[in-house]
Formats: sequence, structure tokens, C-alpha cells
Amino acid sequence: MKNNTYMCLLRSSTGECEQPSASEMELQYAKYQAWQQKFADNILDMGNKLGSAGSVVRQESASDGPYIELKEIIGGYMMLTAATLDEAITVIKESPMVANQGTSIEIREICTP
Amino acid sequence: MSQTDRVEHLFRHEYGKLVALLLRRFGVQHLDAIEDAVQWAMAQALDFWCRDSIPDAPSAWLYRVAYRHLISEFRTTQRRNSLITEHLSTLASEVIELEEASFAGEMSDSMLRMMFITGSDAIPIESQLVFTLKSLCGFSIREIALRLFITEANVYKRFSRAKAQLKTQTLELDMLSNDQMLARLPSVHRVLYLLFTEGYLSSHNDTAIRRDLCEEAIRLTSLLAASNVGDVPAGYALLALMHFHLARISTRQDEFGSLLLLEQQDRHKWNKQQITLAMTFLAQSANGDIISRYHVEASIAAEHCLSPSFSQTPWEKIVASYELLHNIAPSALHRLNQAIATAEWKGPEAGLAVLKSTDFPEWLGRSYHWYTVYSDLLLRSGEITLGRKYADLAIATAPTDSIKRLLSKRLLER
Repeated sequence: MKNNTYMCLLRSSTGECEQPSASEMELQYAKYQAWQQKFADNILDMGNKLGSAGSVVRQESASDGPYIELKEIIGGYMMLTAATLDEAITVIKESPMVANQGTSIEIREICTP
Repeated sequence: MSQTDRVEHLFRHEYGKLVALLLRRFGVQHLDAIEDAVQWAMAQALDFWCRDSIPDAPSAWLYRVAYRHLISEFRTTQRRNSLITEHLSTLASEVIELEEASFAGEMSDSMLRMMFITGSDAIPIESQLVFTLKSLCGFSIREIALRLFITEANVYKRFSRAKAQLKTQTLELDMLSNDQMLARLPSVHRVLYLLFTEGYLSSHNDTAIRRDLCEEAIRLTSLLAASNVGDVPAGYALLALMHFHLARISTRQDEFGSLLLLEQQDRHKWNKQQITLAMTFLAQSANGDIISRYHVEASIAAEHCLSPSFSQTPWEKIVASYELLHNIAPSALHRLNQAIATAEWKGPEAGLAVLKSTDFPEWLGRSYHWYTVYSDLLLRSGEITLGRKYADLAIATAPTDSIKRLLSKRLLER
């Protein structure tokens, strides 16, 4: 079966939250590892962080900042491969990133002609 | 080795090392900025290592990132501080020249010095304990509160007290002489002992949480014993004591999480390797003329671990050991234990006689420990009415449900 490629955009609200401790980060890392191993076949590229500086260019003008909404920024992206959108959703739903408060992940298929 | 194995406890263990190393370099007065920088470096690591892979030298990676962050913080917030100019000039060369081997050595050395810095008489022991957990073991205020059964506000207060006190000590970590470190060694041992017993004796239901503290204590105690200053008989005795106890930890609860008494524990499940290791440390501790409380406590733990069954326990030796322990470190708690061992050796009436010959302080005389022992010995010697009365008191004052269940099983269903 032909697999589709999906781009996942990580959005997080910019609210102040308490810094996790070393032992909490250790747990977080273990969760990431487990997730990456489980879905190794689906994860094409863990992607990267996106800088917070940027600009939105429209016909009329360029506006400051990459903000979708005032309080939400796209913090990073990653690439998945999956047979269906549902499968991609399953992979993302189990990821530790979703568990972070204030984080939402948008999944979009990359269309190839 | 898989990635996960390499990283198990890496964050937590590196945290203390990095904080210690940076404190040594920049001074205790920058503790807050240093903790922030280390935390920041770890957040970066979490992000980059998840996307990519762990670098070959994760410690050096973390150190570089934390160091740079700290320097840039200093640059923006404390321009006038002469410290920066002093350190900035060496920054470039230093970071590049880091060699993993000598680096690792310097790290553990800094950890040790940190333990001694906090071992000052001016800092209350409970504040020392919290400081150790926070800055050397990488636990958050919330996690410490959970592990020590105190409120977060209380943890914060203790931590602040230690921090405030440390900042008034102008002495640098390198300025502690060998003699000063030796003088503080008992206090460092005491904190490690407390750290272990908090984990081991706590009535927390979650075994993993209790294990954490025990393992942290063993890690730091091992580090200490491997150093010049800490290479003393009492240090090995402390290590032996910890390993003897930890060998039994998994048998202290049944499959439903209820606490089990020594008599009911499955001795086959005690960790034999760990007992052997403990014996090795105990042999190493049998040196010199000073017998510490850790020696005596380790020997009591050893008698239990080596005895093939509860009934074959050499109670007379244990009674003698508690007598000795009480002479070295007088505590009514030791007398209470002695009463229990005496009852096993010579019968409940002899145990009661030990209780009656001792003045128990109020904090113990009104605790469920004392009520339990007293009730148990009364019931066993046939004084049912009085025994029941104290059994009720014991159950009413027990701190957790699992202990209440254990007590009513032992005292009332006989």
C-alpha cells in the first residue's frame, strides 16, 4: 500500500509554566524514546524547532511575527509517513508532545501529484 | 547499549555534577543563576537529543551549553561584575579544550566538595537534606515534598534557609581544607543516612518512589567512599548498611501493597548479590579503632540477612548490638528495638522489663511505634485487657492505612 507523507506542526501556547526538574525531564526523555521506538517506521524526520522570529507576508503588507493567534506559536515541525490520516493521528496521539499542556499538533498531508 | 540505557538517570545524575562544577567555578552566590543554566541546558538536551541522537560525550555537551548560557546571563544582567571579564577571556579556550577524562574526575570531585559545603554546622540537618535532594539529586520542590511527606511550602522554606546560609559563607569550595572536610564528614554521612532512611522506612505506597531515594543515597555514599576524605571505616559501614537493607526492600510488601513483617518476608527473594556486596563493604569497614553507629547498625542488618529463618535469628547478638548502639548514639528508639529483640530471645516478659526500665521521651511514648511494641508484648504475656487498649491506641495513631491494616492483623487477629 502506498504511504502518504504528513507534516505535523507543533503549536504551543506561550503561557508561563514551571520548569521541569532534571528527574522530570529524565522521564520525559524515556517517554520520547519509547514512542520513537514504537513508531520508528512512521517517523520520517523528527524535524526541527522553528525560531520565534518571523514575518507573515500578505499582499497588503508584512506583519510582525509568525503568530497564528496572539498566544499561540508554531514551535516546530516533524514528518510522518502513514497509510491514512487516521494512522498518522494515532501516532501523534501517543506522542509525549501531546501530553504537554497547551500543546496542539496539526497534521496535514503533503499532496504529491 | 541502547540509547535509553545510556540515558537512564543521566539527567538527574548530571544535574548535581554540573551544578557542583559550576558552583565551584563561579561561587555559591550564583546558585540561582547556575541552577537556571543547568536546567536550561537540560531542556535543550531534551529537545536536541530527541530529534537527533545523544552526543558521544553528553556531560561535556551539557556543560558547554550550561556554561555558555550562564556567561550570556552574566553578560546581560551583571555587566559591572568583574567576574565576567575574568571568566570571559578563558571561555573560548576552556570550552574547546575540555577533555572527557579529566573532566569526569573534576566533576565528581566538585560533587564531593558540594556535599561538604552543605555539611556546615550552621545549616539545620533537615535543610541540608532538602538542599542535597534539590541541588545534587535534581529533584523539584514538588517531588521532594512528595518524597519527604512535607508540604511544598515547607520544602521551599528549608531550601531557602540552606541557600541563604550558604551565601553568607564567603569561603569558596576549593578553600575547604582536608581537615575541615574531615571535621564535616560525620555530618555528610548523617545526611546520606537520612536520605536513605527517608526512602527505606517511609510508609509511601509507591515502591519506585522509595527506591529512588535509597539509590540516590547509595550513589552519593559510594562516590564519597571512593574519595580520599571519605575513605574511612564509617563510610564503608554506611554503605554496607544501605546494601543490606536494600537487599530486602522488595519483600517488605505483599502483592497487594500491604507491609510485611520480617517474620513473614520470603527470605528466598532477598537479593543475594546485594547481600554479598554488603558483606564486602562490612569487611572493609572492619578497620581502625573507632566503631560508629553505622558499624553497629550494619552488623544488626547483617545478622538478619544471614539468618536462614526468623526463628534462627541470633537474638542474643542483636540485643547486645542494640545495647552497644545505645551507648554510641543514645536514643530511646534503640531501647525500643532492644525490647523487641529481648522478647524474641528471652520471652515477652523480659521485653516488657526493658521497656519499664527506660524513660521514653514524649515523642516516642505517644507514637504508634511505642504503642505497638507495648501492646504486642502485653498480649503475648497474657495481659489481654491492657494489651487491647494499647492496640487500639496504636491503630488510631498509625499514619497510613497500610500500617493500620498491618497492626490490626498483628495485634487483634491473634
